[in-house]
Amino acid sequence: MRPQHIVIALAAILAWAGTALAQPPLTAVRVKGVGPITDPAAPIWKQSRPVNVAMLPQTVALPHNDRPAIRQLSVRAVHNGGWIAFLIEWSDPTLSDRIVLDNFGDQLAVELPIETKGPPPSPMMGNPGGRVNIMQWRAAFQHDIDKGPPTVRDLYPNAWADVYPDEILSASDARPYSGALGIENPISRGRASPVLDQMAEGWGTMTVKPDQHALGKGVWKDGMWRVVVTRPLVSDDINAPRLEPGLRTFVAFAVWDGGGREVGARKAWASWVSLVVGR
Amino acid sequence: MAKVYNWQIGREMDYLYEGKRPEKQFAMVLDTNKCIACQTCTVACKTTWTPGRGQEYMYWNNVETKPYGYYPLGWDVNILDKLGVQEMDGPVYNGKTLFDAAPTGEILLGYLPEDIDYAHPNIGEDDSTGLMTQGAHLTLPHMQWMFYLPRICNHCTYPACLSACPRQSIYKRSEDGIVLLDQSRCRGYRECVKGCPYKKTYFNAQTRVSEKCIGCYPAVEGGRQTQCTITCIGKIRIQGFLNAPDKVNEDNPLDYLVHVRKLALPLYPQFGLEPNTYYIPPIHVPPPYLRQMFGWGVEQAIATYKTVAQDRKLLGALTLFGATPEISFYFRVDGDTVVGYDAKQAEIVRVPIKEPIVIRPVYDATHKAYRTNIT
Repeated sequence: MRPQHIVIALAAILAWAGTALAQPPLTAVRVKGVGPITDPAAPIWKQSRPVNVAMLPQTVALPHNDRPAIRQLSVRAVHNGGWIAFLIEWSDPTLSDRIVLDNFGDQLAVELPIETKGPPPSPMMGNPGGRVNIMQWRAAFQHDIDKGPPTVRDLYPNAWADVYPDEILSASDARPYSGALGIENPISRGRASPVLDQMAEGWGTMTVKPDQHALGKGVWKDGMWRVVVTRPLVSDDINAPRLEPGLRTFVAFAVWDGGGREVGARKAWASWVSLVVGR
Repeated sequence: MAKVYNWQIGREMDYLYEGKRPEKQFAMVLDTNKCIACQTCTVACKTTWTPGRGQEYMYWNNVETKPYGYYPLGWDVNILDKLGVQEMDGPVYNGKTLFDAAPTGEILLGYLPEDIDYAHPNIGEDDSTGLMTQGAHLTLPHMQWMFYLPRICNHCTYPACLSACPRQSIYKRSEDGIVLLDQSRCRGYRECVKGCPYKKTYFNAQTRVSEKCIGCYPAVEGGRQTQCTITCIGKIRIQGFLNAPDKVNEDNPLDYLVHVRKLALPLYPQFGLEPNTYYIPPIHVPPPYLRQMFGWGVEQAIATYKTVAQDRKLLGALTLFGATPEISFYFRVDGDTVVGYDAKQAEIVRVPIKEPIVIRPVYDATHKAYRTNIT
């Protein structure tokens, strides 16, 4: 860890202390049902009291985002004994789910400490030795699932090419011409879930886990995103938290406005909020 | 920020990472006086590396006409404008690099092009600076001019793309200095596209991550030059390895052209990236324009180029361009020929510096026939 990182991590923890005291805890209330909770319109959400989470400009790690577009999230949490779910709602007048060079997608991340005992790691993507589980929902993935992944012609209606390698070569021979898709970069597409199940222990270390357990769904309507992110309370993944009824832990959030060209470090973030897993 | 030494601007400068030079540095020398913008290099690169979906607009190698051609649109004038007027009046550049000029909260000064900026790869093609008046004739430098600028990734010593990436998806290989973008690690933030002033990283909208020129590393690892080099019909390029100025080897053709004779110059050295493609400046273009593009030393390079016909060793080095697909690590002028050697000093090519002239008499006595000129 570079000295500047230590200073920043300390500053972040102090920021967390201030925020956490001011912030009412988020309680994941016990609801009936089994299996993943993915419907943002489900009536069960009425059983959970929403907590407003203030979003901060990311001005600690380079590059900064001084003026994030989204300043507040409304968060609810529930669990059914098998799965915990978060419903996050925020105002965003523009739907951004088309990804080309100068178009970025709306995104949301829910962060949990992997080790639930003791003080939490840095809320800013963890720190060396302080692992966090980051579940990131992406509007572009939601588009892929709801409407199918975009073809070149979907993105560029006037595009034209003589021939593509995959039209004349065997699948294995054409593979090197498909870039990140050919090596199954999880960022690319072809996903069953719009939520990436990831871990990190500091800036630049975000890693999509081999075991994917996070699910969810986002719906944009009337200038509002309503996004559910859900994961099993307990799994056999050593890089996931073990969440049991009665546990007190933390949760943190990040949000990106694609229309404002927010991506990566250019985001709004919130420090740890106390999370209670209801009995 | 660390302090690193950038020999092209003759001073130390700030860079995000410590300055550690690779064992060998991939480099290329291009003679702009010989380029005719036939785009054979562009097509060779395109068919080799970027024929896939999402790569339609990618030209890891492109050739643009200067001063009005750009790919993407306005790439160099845009960043020059953002950097502002800087003084470059000697071998030590005291103006701002893109790292010096980083706005608050940014790693360096950059900008993200619009998608539409890539819509016209041939914009400005063959456009000259103006019309010749009736009865005028060209003198050197030309009153009205244009020239062709072939471009690949510069595999910079201090890459902007690499420093801009917040998750170290871009790395510079210690064995040959080639800069690669890890396709499994990239998350498509486009910080590299924004950061690279040469705009030689490209976003793939199908894979949602960025891609870039790979310096034909599978060929280079096997001792062969890049596709764009070996397919050049004008023989304007040579690709090999360049040593740092404190380790110059006169027998290395790239060291000889760049360091010893200072005939080939870097592209926009003031940006501070220490780019490793080097250009022999076009002798017909007014030096003030060239000085902005290739830095201090343009006038000297042009003067040297004009005397090359009388300069056996320099002519020998230039004759190696396009003479072999293999990388010439060393060269030697042997009488009327120039010889290229591989890394183990084994001869790989021998070329006459001057093609022998054969005069065939008009009357062929053996066949009792007259030869006619059918050209």
